[in-house]
Amino acid sequence: MIVRMMRVRIAGPRSLLDRTLTVLQDLGVLHVDRPPVPDGRAPDRIVMRERRHVERCLSDVEMALNRLRLPADPGAPAERPLSAPQAARRARRVRRRAETLALATSALEDERSLLVRYREFFQAFEALVGHELTWPDGQAFYVVLRAGAGSAVGELRRRLEDALHGEVVLLHQELSSGEWAVLILASSRAAPKVSALLSASRVEELPAPAGIAEKNVLRALPAIKARLGEIPESLHAVDAQRRALAQTEGAWLSGLRVFLRDQLLRFDARTRVFAADYLFVIEGWLPVPRLVDLQQRMQTTLGPEVVVSTIGAEDWTAEAAPVALHNPPLFRPFEVLTRILPLPKYGTIDPTPFVAIFFPAFFGLIVGDVGHGLLLAGLAGLLRLKSEPDTTLRSVSTVALACSSSTIAFGVFFGEFFGSLGPAIGLQPFFNREQATIPFLGLSVALGGVHIALGLVLAGVSAWRRGHRREAVGRSVALGMLILTALSLLAAFEVLPAGLFTPLVVAILVAFTVLVALEGIVAVIELLSTVGHILSYARIMALGTASLMLAVVANEMVGAMGSVLVGAIFALLFHLVNFAIGLFSPTIHALRLHYVEFFGQFFSPGGAEYRPLGHWHPLP
Amino acid sequence: MEIALLGFAAALAIGLPALATAWAQGRIGPAAAATLAEKPELSTTAVILIAIPETMVILGFVVAVLILLRAGG
Repeated sequence: MIVRMMRVRIAGPRSLLDRTLTVLQDLGVLHVDRPPVPDGRAPDRIVMRERRHVERCLSDVEMALNRLRLPADPGAPAERPLSAPQAARRARRVRRRAETLALATSALEDERSLLVRYREFFQAFEALVGHELTWPDGQAFYVVLRAGAGSAVGELRRRLEDALHGEVVLLHQELSSGEWAVLILASSRAAPKVSALLSASRVEELPAPAGIAEKNVLRALPAIKARLGEIPESLHAVDAQRRALAQTEGAWLSGLRVFLRDQLLRFDARTRVFAADYLFVIEGWLPVPRLVDLQQRMQTTLGPEVVVSTIGAEDWTAEAAPVALHNPPLFRPFEVLTRILPLPKYGTIDPTPFVAIFFPAFFGLIVGDVGHGLLLAGLAGLLRLKSEPDTTLRSVSTVALACSSSTIAFGVFFGEFFGSLGPAIGLQPFFNREQATIPFLGLSVALGGVHIALGLVLAGVSAWRRGHRREAVGRSVALGMLILTALSLLAAFEVLPAGLFTPLVVAILVAFTVLVALEGIVAVIELLSTVGHILSYARIMALGTASLMLAVVANEMVGAMGSVLVGAIFALLFHLVNFAIGLFSPTIHALRLHYVEFFGQFFSPGGAEYRPLGHWHPLP
Repeated sequence: MEIALLGFAAALAIGLPALATAWAQGRIGPAAAATLAEKPELSTTAVILIAIPETMVILGFVVAVLILLRAGG
């Protein structure tokens, strides 16, 4: 449900503004909103300069933490520096040192990967480089062509020989990566032409390895190997320095980040505060039960000079209030499904409790299989063990557990265990949906009727609460028409006395006239769309029957493959595929029935989220 | 002959909506992929939007089942 909010005004002397914001941040309940006062004053230059300093210092701190590979510590206490300039200088110093170490690590890793490439390249030619030695005044060109460019080697050789006639030798070999290593040896006279030809052909030479000045392959290879041996030690030494720096400065940096982030949040709140030369006015929203806390805290910490007063509901519109959802623990995990859509507007209805009841019910009704339910419960349990409390994953695991329970319950009702294996484990169907296709269709559509009727009730309540009386009556009449239509159908099929049919049809016609009078011609379209929405629930039967048939086909594979073993393996694979489809498809369609059909009746998205001024916490 | 015609009707009842669904999803899919490249947080909404045209084939399936039951009965 949506938490009831109230708007408050806090006024006091300007000298107490910073302290007031700090107290509000500690309390963490006030969603600061701009007061409806024309504020033509220029932004406070001192505050703006302070903010710039804080942002610059925070940038240094976060860069240093990042370079030192220190993750955000949610429990780090705020480190209030004794001197802001001193803290900024220290943060800058640590950031520079951390950056130097990170750059050194990066350079060493780059060098290593380049040398590894060279090593392979040179090793490929180790047996052939005698050519280079026999041509001491010549020049060597080292080229690596991309994988699959083997045909380009022949083309390169042809061009070189055409241009230079015997003054050039080309050797090539495929590397383990699929690339082609090409060594071109040219006389000193031919070298410039080779270089020009390579440029014209857009073939780039391998850059010379840093630190290896030796161009001769045979002499370069030992140098490369020696350097490759040195690099891990250098990396280790740099890493040790990084860890030492993290050890000495990490906690201080984490604490300073919390302090600076908190300060930025207060600066943000300050932009929404009216502050004149001698007084300030803060307005904002808070949950009704927290008003006493706010008043007491203000009184005890700031004294009588700072006054908290409430603003009457007649002075603000419901659309302006922020929205906070608060549901019982059993329903709260289902907020993960409603929060996929924008928040509902303040004063309307939070659909979470209804989703918590109907979503698992629809899911279970579609899958309706004890075996699949047990598998899903296992997966949900695993997810629960692996997830942290108060995270999205934990909520998803709870929703999955609810869906698995519903699937098992409906599985028992339908007598299904991996399709038709129910009787083999002693399950007797109370409702055999393999045979009772039409009753299952009727059940699905009837469920749709109930769900849509509930949506119309909620639409009426929501419209009434917002003061839209005409709309509320219109929704009630639409609901009445829906009930009358259902009753007249029952009378037509003689479930109810047939004599009721005519009076019910007359009542429908009267209700229809009232509806058109209330809502205009658009009511006709809405009515047709409501009927379409109810029929859309037939998907519960369609998906359920399809899932059951897939399971039945899987079970029949055991006897149809000739070998029982092969049949059993195929059946297991087919069940696995069916289970995967059974996770995805019912979820999507149960969600769709909620978002499109059910929410379409009453849901008013567009509420602003309640974000009280509080302390900064790193994202989980 | 009548059973064959009913079977043909059932095949049409599911086949034509399946083609329509495929066409619609073929249009929505690339748009959703392009959206996700810019806003990955809309993945759930994209999946829901892709699933919406499935109504046609699902209702087609329901009609086909009804026709086949009529043929059987």
